[in-house]
Amino acid sequence: MKNAINKARNIGISAHIDSGKTTLTERILFFTKRIHAIHDVKGKDGVGATMDSMDLEKERGITIASAATYCEWLGHEINIIDTPGHVDFTIEVERSLRVLDGAILVLCAVGGVQSQSITVDQQMKRYKVPCIAFINKCDRIGANPYRVIDQLREKLGHNAVTLQIPIGLEGDLEGVVDLVSMKAVYFDGANGEDVRIENIPQNLLQEALQRREDLIDAASMFSDQLTEAVLEEQEVSQDMIISAVRMGTLTRQLTPVFMGSAYKNKGVQPLLDAVTKLLPCPYDVKNEALDMDNDETLITLSGELDKPLVALAFKLEEGQYGQLTYIRVYQGSLSKGDTIVNARNGKKIKVGRVVRMHADQMEDIETIPAGYIGALFGIDCASGDTFVGPGINLTMTSMFVPDPVISLAIAPKDNASQINMSKALNRFSKEDPTFRTYVDDETKETIIEGMGELHLEVYVERMHREYTAEVTTGRPRVAYRETITRKGEFDYTLKKQTGGAGQYGRVAGYLEPVTETELVFENKIVGGKIPTQFIASCEKGFRQCMKKGPKMEFPVTGIKVVINDGASHSVDSSDMAFMAAARGAFREGYFRAGPVIHEPIMKVAVETPSEFQGAVMGLLNQRRGIIVGSQDEGPLCVVEARVPLAEMFGFSTVLRSSTQGKAQFTMELGSYKQVPESIAQELAKKAETEKKGK
Amino acid sequence: MLKKELILQNPLRFIGDETEDILPEGGFGAVLARAGVGKTALLVQLALHTLLKGKYVLHISLDDPVNKISLWYKEVFRHLTKSYDAKNTNKLWEDLLPHRFIMTFKVEGFSVPKLEERLTDLKEQNIFSPQMVLIDGFHFNETARTSLSDLKRLAKNHSVHVWFSVKTHRHEKHGPGDMPSSLSDVSDLFDIVIQLQPEGKKIHVMTLKGGPADSDRPALFLDPATMLVKDTI
Repeated sequence: MKNAINKARNIGISAHIDSGKTTLTERILFFTKRIHAIHDVKGKDGVGATMDSMDLEKERGITIASAATYCEWLGHEINIIDTPGHVDFTIEVERSLRVLDGAILVLCAVGGVQSQSITVDQQMKRYKVPCIAFINKCDRIGANPYRVIDQLREKLGHNAVTLQIPIGLEGDLEGVVDLVSMKAVYFDGANGEDVRIENIPQNLLQEALQRREDLIDAASMFSDQLTEAVLEEQEVSQDMIISAVRMGTLTRQLTPVFMGSAYKNKGVQPLLDAVTKLLPCPYDVKNEALDMDNDETLITLSGELDKPLVALAFKLEEGQYGQLTYIRVYQGSLSKGDTIVNARNGKKIKVGRVVRMHADQMEDIETIPAGYIGALFGIDCASGDTFVGPGINLTMTSMFVPDPVISLAIAPKDNASQINMSKALNRFSKEDPTFRTYVDDETKETIIEGMGELHLEVYVERMHREYTAEVTTGRPRVAYRETITRKGEFDYTLKKQTGGAGQYGRVAGYLEPVTETELVFENKIVGGKIPTQFIASCEKGFRQCMKKGPKMEFPVTGIKVVINDGASHSVDSSDMAFMAAARGAFREGYFRAGPVIHEPIMKVAVETPSEFQGAVMGLLNQRRGIIVGSQDEGPLCVVEARVPLAEMFGFSTVLRSSTQGKAQFTMELGSYKQVPESIAQELAKKAETEKKGK
Repeated sequence: MLKKELILQNPLRFIGDETEDILPEGGFGAVLARAGVGKTALLVQLALHTLLKGKYVLHISLDDPVNKISLWYKEVFRHLTKSYDAKNTNKLWEDLLPHRFIMTFKVEGFSVPKLEERLTDLKEQNIFSPQMVLIDGFHFNETARTSLSDLKRLAKNHSVHVWFSVKTHRHEKHGPGDMPSSLSDVSDLFDIVIQLQPEGKKIHVMTLKGGPADSDRPALFLDPATMLVKDTI
């Protein structure tokens, strides 16, 4: 690649659903001349935005998979990862954030900081991604960018400062005033491609001066030079402001705010300028990896080209030409013909084609140097794998992957679908670590697991569209868990002597509850009452019981097993006998230890116009929800609640119908909590009838 | 058990014993302090002690988002129960949560009719019916009297008592009874007024109006580290 690394930017565009990320990306690609016509997300021309390459996304008007694309602006190379906005796909967002150096946080000028923006912001915080904010949709009725800036401060705790003020709002939006250069910027031409710079209109001058002062005030925290200039009343140059704001942005202590309307082609070019001026280049960001040879100690990657390769596969995609692996190189460089090693399994791989992606078109390149994003062809790996050069053994820090909370049984309709379905499942589970699949041993059904109803729905739909696999689905099931509430003792003897070699083993001890782990096994046997060679079998026996709890056959968590006594027989004791004895002992102790069922409780945030607040609270209340609070924000209001996942099935439909479609909600896993007695009984009854049914 | 112990330990007993609150239905209480001294912390403690008695508390904040307020409760509760077994305290916390409701408004968006509408709605749908209301961040300015009178009526209608936080300023003039001027115009509406007064490293809890006189009860302090009220320091 032709440019120096300080002219490269890897950025993401994250936001709440429907705040216009995809439209913004589309405009960026248009202005950087990567595409030559604009297609809107829900456009009438039926082509759809360039970034939404999957048919499904086009149909639903949402972005599911984050396509990476490349463009150039003012001599800078910009890689853009378009990230999905729906919370059900947050693993995609998180994975994208991992490889980003900076981000544009898109906010709606009407909706402001919505619940999803909060989730996305938390994720950015976790990966320490510096960001700039873009207040989009300033042309819409009810737009108020200053309210959004206030919300950025209050709700997200950002030190937000505006670098622009709008010229006109709602239907009268004409352009923006740049507070750094103190010029008005207008966007002419059919698609706003001609930027016209003029003096600030008289009526806005006063406000612009005031806001500029605020800006300099905030920026001077990060630059002594600027502070000095202000104190000594010297002239403040544009460079001084920019470099101070950049300092603040890189350390996440300042969030510069830009505004405009992507749909109306206003404010996009200044935003691109800001990306090049304010967001970090790969060199500004510290990246760390774990040294596998050295007890997983953290080491900082240098980003130098002559060091051995370290790269991360952050996304897989089944393209029309085969499997495509999106990759970010952190150190060294990756060229055609190189041999690289997959750090997870030690497999050596020879690199074939190296490409640069532009939504669903691509161009061949020779090499991907450190700091850049590209894609490889025909590489067998899972997403999240680290590739290294021969001789080193590093892995990028493991990504945080939440456990699935919901499962669904699926069955193919015919033979052809059967084959396609397994292909699809194999692909999806490689692509998305929160999507899991297995075959139930007892029912022989294929089960898929994920983070929410919509998450699974989209995959079922994708199976149908991309793999022509027709499947029928069962009812979604909640991932319940079992655990115990008090200490329970056991003393179990297995004794089978019915001719031939018998089985004998006695295991005694107790179970007690622990938090935050599945099973702790402690051996307190003294004097060889259970011979040492059988202790491992005992542990194995206990572990076997964890998969299916004796109470309701849900997975068991949070148990400590202590064995302190036992007996063996010189002939009849065996590994098998002790495993079976441990299973018996577990059942015995388990029912004495007050077993209970736990269910996932979701953090639900419903955003609704104020007039429906009462109705929304009623809905949540009916669903065993605890309403934590309501937050009033002018025309909109957010109701926050904790609701059991089991009660959330079909909530989106009910919510839509009782709020004229004006409310939306997001949810994520909050915690696991004990199921109330009445519900537990219902579950038990249901389990029984199902058993009989079989 | 834990609940009982916590109730008995409560150094704020003077504002209400185990069963009775010092404020009657429709009564007003105020916590006065300068910014950052601990008004919200004290309000949250008042709320927690009311929650412990099994009553329902509506917390209205005009400054902070819901998350921040939940965090206040969590922190204060954590400090309160630090010396107890985590398992029991978690259970107690879960029990208390459904008794609390947080409502936040923008300062300019807050009005008594709006609150009344929300409150009636909650009660009618049988979602929440508070016995105590906290209003944090209410602006005591020239127009406050009308709103406060409306609130008083609302409080009586809904049989609740209301605690306010009042931000005072360093240079504020003091009226009769050491009452800061922001409150002196409306002080007749309040049954009890507590002031937090920092002195050196200590923060004194003093009653300006209502309740037993300071001399009749042990001196109270706010521990600056945990923001908990203590009778010894």
